[in-house]
Amino acid sequence: MKIIGLSDPEVQTSLRAAGIGMSVPEARTIAGVLGRDPTLTELFCYDAMWSEHCSYKSSRATLKEFLPTDGPNVVMGPVEDSGIVAIDDKWCVVISHESHNHPSQILPNEGAATGIGGIVRDVNCMGATVVATADPLRFGNPYGPKANKVRWVAEGVVDGIWQYGNALGVPNMGGDIVFNDSFDDNCLVNVVSIGIVRRDQIIRSRAPPLAGEKGYDVILIGKPTDSSGLGGVTFASEALCEEDEETNRGAVQIPDPFLKNVLFKANDDLFRLVREEGIEIGFKDLGGGGFTCATSEMGSSGGFGMEINLDDMHTAADFPAEVLSIAETQERFLIVSPPELREKILKIYNEDWDLPNVYEGARASVVGKINTGDRFTVTHKGEMVCDVPIQHLTEGIRYNRLELPRTIRVQEPDVAEPADYNQVLLQILRSPNIASREHVYRYYDTEVMGNAVIRPGEADAGLIAPVRGEKFGIALAVDSNPFYGRISPYWGGATAVAEAMRNVAAVGAVPSTLTDCLNYGNPEKPEAFWEFREGVKGLAESCKKLYLKGYEAQQQAVPIVSGNVSFYNESPQGSVDPSPVVACVGIMKDFSKAITMDLKKAGDKLFLIGPRFDELGGSEYYRTIFGETGANVPIVRFDLERNMIYAVIDAIEEGLLAAAHDISNGGLAASLSEMALTRPARFGLELDLDRVQSGDNDMRTDKLLFSESSGFVLEAKVGSETRLVELLKSYSLEPMQIGIVTGKRRIVMSRAGEYVADLDLDEARNAWTTGLVEAMR
Amino acid sequence: MKIAVLQFPGTNCEFETLVAVKAVGMEGEIFRWNRSAGELSGFDGFVIPGGFSYQDRLRAGVIASKEPVMSALKEEAGIGKPIIGICNGFQILVETGLLPGSIEKSSGNVDMALAQNVMVSQGKIVRRGYYCDWVNLRHEAPSKRCSGSFAIERGALLKIPIAHGEGNLVTTTPGLMKKLNDEGQVVFRYCDRNGRIINEFPFNVNGSTESIAAICNEPGNVLGMMPHPERAFFAWQLPAFDPRKQRPDEPGPGRRVFESMKRYIEVNA
Repeated sequence: MKIIGLSDPEVQTSLRAAGIGMSVPEARTIAGVLGRDPTLTELFCYDAMWSEHCSYKSSRATLKEFLPTDGPNVVMGPVEDSGIVAIDDKWCVVISHESHNHPSQILPNEGAATGIGGIVRDVNCMGATVVATADPLRFGNPYGPKANKVRWVAEGVVDGIWQYGNALGVPNMGGDIVFNDSFDDNCLVNVVSIGIVRRDQIIRSRAPPLAGEKGYDVILIGKPTDSSGLGGVTFASEALCEEDEETNRGAVQIPDPFLKNVLFKANDDLFRLVREEGIEIGFKDLGGGGFTCATSEMGSSGGFGMEINLDDMHTAADFPAEVLSIAETQERFLIVSPPELREKILKIYNEDWDLPNVYEGARASVVGKINTGDRFTVTHKGEMVCDVPIQHLTEGIRYNRLELPRTIRVQEPDVAEPADYNQVLLQILRSPNIASREHVYRYYDTEVMGNAVIRPGEADAGLIAPVRGEKFGIALAVDSNPFYGRISPYWGGATAVAEAMRNVAAVGAVPSTLTDCLNYGNPEKPEAFWEFREGVKGLAESCKKLYLKGYEAQQQAVPIVSGNVSFYNESPQGSVDPSPVVACVGIMKDFSKAITMDLKKAGDKLFLIGPRFDELGGSEYYRTIFGETGANVPIVRFDLERNMIYAVIDAIEEGLLAAAHDISNGGLAASLSEMALTRPARFGLELDLDRVQSGDNDMRTDKLLFSESSGFVLEAKVGSETRLVELLKSYSLEPMQIGIVTGKRRIVMSRAGEYVADLDLDEARNAWTTGLVEAMR
Repeated sequence: MKIAVLQFPGTNCEFETLVAVKAVGMEGEIFRWNRSAGELSGFDGFVIPGGFSYQDRLRAGVIASKEPVMSALKEEAGIGKPIIGICNGFQILVETGLLPGSIEKSSGNVDMALAQNVMVSQGKIVRRGYYCDWVNLRHEAPSKRCSGSFAIERGALLKIPIAHGEGNLVTTTPGLMKKLNDEGQVVFRYCDRNGRIINEFPFNVNGSTESIAAICNEPGNVLGMMPHPERAFFAWQLPAFDPRKQRPDEPGPGRRVFESMKRYIEVNA
């Protein structure tokens, strides 16, 4: 394509006409480095590799500046497809976290399904067995002006997730759903996946040492390359416009969990083969940026060059070179391996697992060679279609974006105290953001693999016991509150980390690592970039000040080992609320000690830790009852937060607790109610508000009940109360014995000797279980 | 005593099923679909595990049912070896005609279907399609009637999870339901936690005719069940509110299905 000698507008016109998203200066840089006009294929390859999605060109500097990524338990930080942390001396947990936002807004079912499909590949390609997924979802207002579209998106996304995950055979162990009008035109579909691998069996996503000298093979396996997902990463790196919907549909990938299921089993045989042969290979999945991204990154991270012949690629039809290079056809992997293994590897895929007969056109093909040069060359039909410096292609570019604080006018509303708390509580429990998630998680196969110990809906985090004969459990929780982020992007980030850690602590697991998927608007707009920077600062601050348990003395931060940045979540109507979505992995030495949140026994005493502050900014109460946002967003009091999390973990380890639940959306009132409403829902409770301490003076009853300040509600086992109080005090906490579990099926709350609320459990359960069904109908 | 756990493209429960087979003291291995079907005769029993064989193309189980291994399996069934089909395995057994075993003997007809779940409560359809939850089962057959429930007494209650989109047993074959009942071929029904059969959601979790969760063929060696016993093999796998969960070393309810299979083989050897 001609660039040299043309004017900027002329270059711009020909780039856009070809469907290339890069800027004119970027195109000129490429022509300058090559010393000639680039070919069409070269421009497409660069366009993919230099996209925001692949290169992190706007975000990388900020991530590097703030985020802690190292720790004593870190086996691999955020350098390859997934991060890895140690469970013990033998086993590791592998985790990856991504977004699939744009595709899910356009084609919800396929978009969400390929999100799951992509994230499990990232984990599997480290040599790991994928053992769980989780899906943080953000949808628009189901009762707003775009209700029909919002519900269509929500239903399609949930369908895509279960259809893919269930068929693949990986349990969905957690996730969350938030409805908020900032997502009316831009849903967020984040996907998290975890796997387990033995420390000595990790496989790297790079060409191994001496691969160039020995001329290692480049082998492509899986589905035949087609034109699906063409330009997916470029599409993900632009704002969504409704008029582009037709063309954008072509950028959405096509999922196939069936083929993936077979591929995973064949991959296991590949892993076994290289273990037996004692030979190191490179193994990587094909995701964003397609074939070009996987091949060039594999070569350049080993420090080698690579020659590819597209004529050897198995394809679904005769496509042009640029399509074969960057299409995001799903269910493909790439192997870099020595020639002496070639026949054995091809046999695994093409004969043992019979790919060509399982799926039309699927197979393993040798498509190129590693060399000691520094070029990435691609030939097609006898012609050289790409010949570029491999490092230049993969290193991408960097932008220093401008940041400018967004001016937000917020104020606390002046609202009257409600007269009827029963009705207020019912309204809160029925709210789509508080109501039981059962309607959704019954679609998810939580039982496949037989590892589930605690399932969605039973506690604040899911817990699995993935290895028979081993006692350890892995807990997983996700979190981010867009309503907080709207008021304060910084506290939105900090509270997301704190709540995710509280969630895994509430089952008894020790927070071990975090991942972040940072969902923001257009980074070229200074206000959006400021929100992103603030969010990252908030995340980092919580990680650094809550410490990795066991390493408090060294003030060791909880490491973030994997993540993803998703910009351009905006449309002409505006951008999404700042949404730094966090996943937290917790490790339990003995999974049989884990507890859930349902009330266990009449007569048990209920304790609260975490005093109530006047923090109802972004709260469920302000929003649902008054339609207000407020200003006093919950903050993280780092020492208090850390002490609470550690104390709860220790109390569960000592066997003092029958149930635990953290306080977040809906405040103390919602948390207590949820403990009574969760199956088997056989007990009621009595709350004495006189026992609830407030951190601020003279808090009204509604503020005590619905403040979203951090905390935990704990059900003590009979006879453990004294020890529990002692333990909590040793962490400088002030335990409040706020109530009791009752055999009556009522939720009763009183203050100064008078009833505040007295609600029939079945009536409350009816509201709580129908809220989400109605919102998604 | 050697069990083959059959594996088709899309099967996804073979590994935990093999764990269950071995944990009760049987030998076992995973038998891939493209292995020589003749090798099946070397096994003493068979489990067809759950999953989405051939992606549920056309309809669940139908493509796997046409595989050579299934023809070979029919012969093994004919000589009385035990076969347990779980979830998609049940669907495959129905599509091969091995279940319920034809009314007109040896006709090989498909006499029933496992149709899409339809959850009905108080006369209204409240939900359709895929559903995952723990359910209660009541053992309807006398002990020793069927291979997979050989060592389970009539009336025993088992808590086991389901996870499927098509488990709604339907038939239009005249007289079939009566025959299943009369011949003791109804092995498990969905029930409440006290063992009462309540023929509507959530107790009848998928709309199945007469709340049927599992049936066997007339001789009793072939069992098909929608619930997953391999996922309820250990007490720690039970849901949070089950008191047995707190005794993690205890066996789970699903273990009894695999123990039954073993006992059946021992007795019939």
